[in-house]
Amino acid sequence: MSNFIVRKVAVLGAGVMGAQIAAHCVNAKVPVVLFDLPAKEGPKNGIVLKAIEGLKKLNPAPLGNKDDAACIEVANYDDNLELLKGCDLIIEAIAERMDWKHDLYKKVAPFIAPNAIFASNTSGLSITALSDGFDAALKERFCGVHFFNPPRYMHLVELIPTAATKPEILDQLEGFLVTTLGKGVVRAKDTPNFIANRVGVFSMMATMHEAEKFGLSCDVVDDLTGAKLGRAKSGTFRTADVVGLDTMGHVIKTMQDTLPNDPFAAIYKTPDVLTKLVAAGALGQKSGAGFYKKVGKEVQRLDFATGQYVAGGGKADDLVGRILKEKDPAKRMKALRESTNPQAQFLWAIFRDAFHYIAVHLEAIADNARDIDFAMRWGFGQKLGPFETWQAAGWQQVATWVKEDIDAGKALCAAPLPAWVFDGRTGVHAADGSWSPVRRANVPRAELPVYQRQIFRAPVLGEGAADGVTSGTTVFEDESVRIWHQNDEVLILSLKTKMHVIGAGVIAGLSKAIAEAEANYKGLVIWGADAADGGAFSAGADLQSMLPLFMSGGVKAIEPEVAKLQQAFQAMKYANVPVVSAVAGLALGGGCELALHTARRVASIESYIGLVEVGVGLIPAGGGLKEAALRAAADAKGNDLLQFLKTYFTNAAMASVSKSALEARQMGYLKPDDIIVFNPYELLHVAKVEARAMFDAGYRPPLPKLVPVAGRYAIGTIMMQLVNMRDGGFISAHDFKLGQMIATVVSGGDVDQGSLVSEQWLLDLERKAFMELLNHPKTQERIMGMMQTGKPVRN
Amino acid sequence: MTKQLQDAYIVAATRTPIGKAPRGMFRNTRPDDLLVYAIQSAMAQVPGLDPKLIEDAIIGCSFPEGESGLNMARNAVLLAGLPNTVGGVTVNRFCASGITAVAMAADRIRVGQADVMIAGGAESMSMVPMGGFHPSINMGVFKDENVGMAYGMGLTAENVAKQWKITREAQDQFALESHQRAIAGQQAGEFDNETTAVEIVDRVPNLSSGEIELKRRSVNRDEGARADSTLAALAKLKPVFAAKGSVTAGNSSQTSDGAGALILVSEKILKQFNLTPLARFMSFAVRGVPPEIMGIGPKEAIPVACRAAGITQDQLDWIELNEAFAAQSLAVIQDLGLDPAKVNPIGGAIALGHPLGATGAIRSATVIHALRRRNLKYGMVTMCVGTGMGAAGIFERM
Repeated sequence: MSNFIVRKVAVLGAGVMGAQIAAHCVNAKVPVVLFDLPAKEGPKNGIVLKAIEGLKKLNPAPLGNKDDAACIEVANYDDNLELLKGCDLIIEAIAERMDWKHDLYKKVAPFIAPNAIFASNTSGLSITALSDGFDAALKERFCGVHFFNPPRYMHLVELIPTAATKPEILDQLEGFLVTTLGKGVVRAKDTPNFIANRVGVFSMMATMHEAEKFGLSCDVVDDLTGAKLGRAKSGTFRTADVVGLDTMGHVIKTMQDTLPNDPFAAIYKTPDVLTKLVAAGALGQKSGAGFYKKVGKEVQRLDFATGQYVAGGGKADDLVGRILKEKDPAKRMKALRESTNPQAQFLWAIFRDAFHYIAVHLEAIADNARDIDFAMRWGFGQKLGPFETWQAAGWQQVATWVKEDIDAGKALCAAPLPAWVFDGRTGVHAADGSWSPVRRANVPRAELPVYQRQIFRAPVLGEGAADGVTSGTTVFEDESVRIWHQNDEVLILSLKTKMHVIGAGVIAGLSKAIAEAEANYKGLVIWGADAADGGAFSAGADLQSMLPLFMSGGVKAIEPEVAKLQQAFQAMKYANVPVVSAVAGLALGGGCELALHTARRVASIESYIGLVEVGVGLIPAGGGLKEAALRAAADAKGNDLLQFLKTYFTNAAMASVSKSALEARQMGYLKPDDIIVFNPYELLHVAKVEARAMFDAGYRPPLPKLVPVAGRYAIGTIMMQLVNMRDGGFISAHDFKLGQMIATVVSGGDVDQGSLVSEQWLLDLERKAFMELLNHPKTQERIMGMMQTGKPVRN
Repeated sequence: MTKQLQDAYIVAATRTPIGKAPRGMFRNTRPDDLLVYAIQSAMAQVPGLDPKLIEDAIIGCSFPEGESGLNMARNAVLLAGLPNTVGGVTVNRFCASGITAVAMAADRIRVGQADVMIAGGAESMSMVPMGGFHPSINMGVFKDENVGMAYGMGLTAENVAKQWKITREAQDQFALESHQRAIAGQQAGEFDNETTAVEIVDRVPNLSSGEIELKRRSVNRDEGARADSTLAALAKLKPVFAAKGSVTAGNSSQTSDGAGALILVSEKILKQFNLTPLARFMSFAVRGVPPEIMGIGPKEAIPVACRAAGITQDQLDWIELNEAFAAQSLAVIQDLGLDPAKVNPIGGAIALGHPLGATGAIRSATVIHALRRRNLKYGMVTMCVGTGMGAAGIFERM
């Protein structure tokens, strides 16, 4: 094998993108040096230092751990260019000016190591034009690498080669981006704005255009084009406000300047309303006003006719809402098109415009249809890409409708659909790949080594590929779980409940899986089939399912269920083969406890872990607090236990949830030797590798031991703080009670400091406190409130 | 007048500047080192005095552990180069530790069992956190009748503010005045006589050279006073001790580092060594109050101290009332009818800082020098004390 190792990355330009790319490198433990111009006043690296400070304040957070901001090495072009020689990857991310970029390239080129990859994060300039003036050797190692903002959270990175770029450097870079930084890579052609922004910005322009035509206000358009279409909640205009209307203006300008011969060129004209807003300094969110304006708590919308801000909050018509709820995509599209409701017609129009556009431009901007769908899914937050949407609604029927509209002059331009649209196909995605007009064939997915780490790749509609829900060999399946394997040595348990909540069925399934794994496998991995798709690891215990039992038998009927949950988790902890949890997304309450009891956690960087029971007036009783006591004792190694217990106590008492796997590690929910995976599509692979490795290394479960607890000393000290919070009016009497109970459990009860207790002792404390709370009217109020409104009750 | 054999006279009184904690100028300077500076400086002010005659050094400290631990008083005595015959004891009455040390030292002389004593106080809130490193409380505290013992100081100040109806505006105004008086005092050089310069040594690893860089600088000015403080800025601060409270970081005392030291002698020693007395120690009193309103403590202690000194409250010319919180200071001033002009004329703990156990010794140095500078007669140091006490000590200028 040959390794491609990125020892160090240099990012040139400490703007919003550059600084955040550097931050994400640090998240991934990639050493990074961030360059910018030398400051004219103050410390010479002042510009970079200021940008790094800014990273700590940005929301959503670019860094998984704010303290790691200090790991970004600072540099300026005057003093530190020598540092470039030690970098294997150099990403340029300065302002979008061809002349400035060329000036910088001249300056840095002599310092670029002979094997280093040089890439520009430009969002639209020609990569080939950027490489003008390079020697042939550098041209071979130059390409575009286009991240989306915010780079930590947006899955998409576009890779753009020039004709001179050596194919292997693209493959190397793709491997690094996919595994190390966790990104989804789409290869784009070197055309203006590449794929995602080309299609995405066109769609926004078309939406604005059609909104005007149908006389719809921006709040209604956003309601229609947001979550209801499986897209980002911010819809169209709100997204523009977030992006910044001046930035929007620049991107549009690029399209005007570079695409004069595009048949859709008329649509690239900057809308008057945008020009006026920018001229008035209303640049969107950053300036407090754009298409929307926040006045106190009220969000007002711009009235296109008068230019004044008026009351917002307009919603889609119920009729349209009902149409959009139709499950059959063909019926849904037909209903939109045939409805006389202007909002429905508007939706059909924007679909038609998008289909028209991608069909006309596919050949020019992308290798195949899959790349456009991925670009729109990963770069613009759409659940389904535009080609997928078309194909799902019935390819030929929709194609005919689009053609009719073009012929009738209803479309945005008269450019005909390409002939391949009508070659009898039923779509652009099929089992053998996705349609590539250039190659006149369907092309399969890239088979780079990095993709062997993705057991299930991002699905594409119509491809019919295996997925985690049905593939492999099922050992056992009911409505709660599927126990299965891939004809290898590792058994997999997948929860099937909604949000993967844990009820009696899951507990029974877990026991079954452990027994099966102990008998026939090297290990057990707990993995959700929707882990890479934003699904929860587990949102916690299934309160709803316990309700009937509670109604008929009261608290007494619940206690054996809680005991069963505790014992199931204990059995898993002490299973004779390693149980590895593959955590991604939410792991709350009982879900967190499930993860805590596994032999190892393999967590996606986007893991939101926490013991949140106090929100419903309860305390963790599935061993979460017991594990806190155990972890604190292990951390303390005989020193003052309370110092180590504090974090765990606070986590549970404040119902804190990690904002990343890195933060979960700081909170103690992940252990130092747990593994953080940056690409959720690799999660199952890594978890399986880990389970197998643990078994092969001679895995034995932990030896049950008595542990020292902090006892009454810790309870007293914690209570002192709680008393002040209660009597200072920061927490309610019931919060105080919950805090006191958590303190008591994690401290092992009102016993002498240093007393040795068993895990069962701690579990009993948890369970008894839980039962007492379940009977408490304030807790019952919180539970009912949560079930009815989904929001925590403060009482 | 209480019975006593002889008077105790202060012949030296000095203190270090006060640094902000935990990130101020003394963040890396140990409290025992600060104390050594204060003791050595006090000794230097009475060069004729034979140090062998010192019986004991009584040093106040609120959290005598960690860097302040191991009986800091005795360590400081030896580190200051005093003869090893000199004793050392660290005493604790929280914020009244320093004034208690002065009173105890005076009493050793007043009962005729000692002729030369050192009294002082030292605290590093940068190094030893409030509450100490291992706070642990008796579970009996959580009974309803005792729960005030568990209250943080800020919460007790909220209680005083509520009970005495001290408004947020009044507290902020008081805080602003503290800063303005302190700045004016600094500009007029009012702290010069009482302050001993301290050399700070920072030890910084230079990772590129592999050397330890020693950075030395001398400091002689309190760090806390802000010339830029405004009512508008103070009004913006959020209450920190109660959700709907009025006590903020701006109208509370600052957390600080510092030390002070005084030398007390009998009349015999004054004559023997021909020393000039700065002041005579007149009286000390301590009284308990409910812990949940500890800030009102001085109200009970001041009248007792005055009676013991044989003077009326009106005769006091200069009062150093420790500004633990603006709320409790105002409540005490209001209830006793103290003259605001005589209370903290050159600022208080809100501006200058409050290194807990050192404050009593530091403010003793302030009042003693102020009485001399302004040619006044009677001065007092008083403060409230955690878990509900008030303490007051009275001095007469010589």
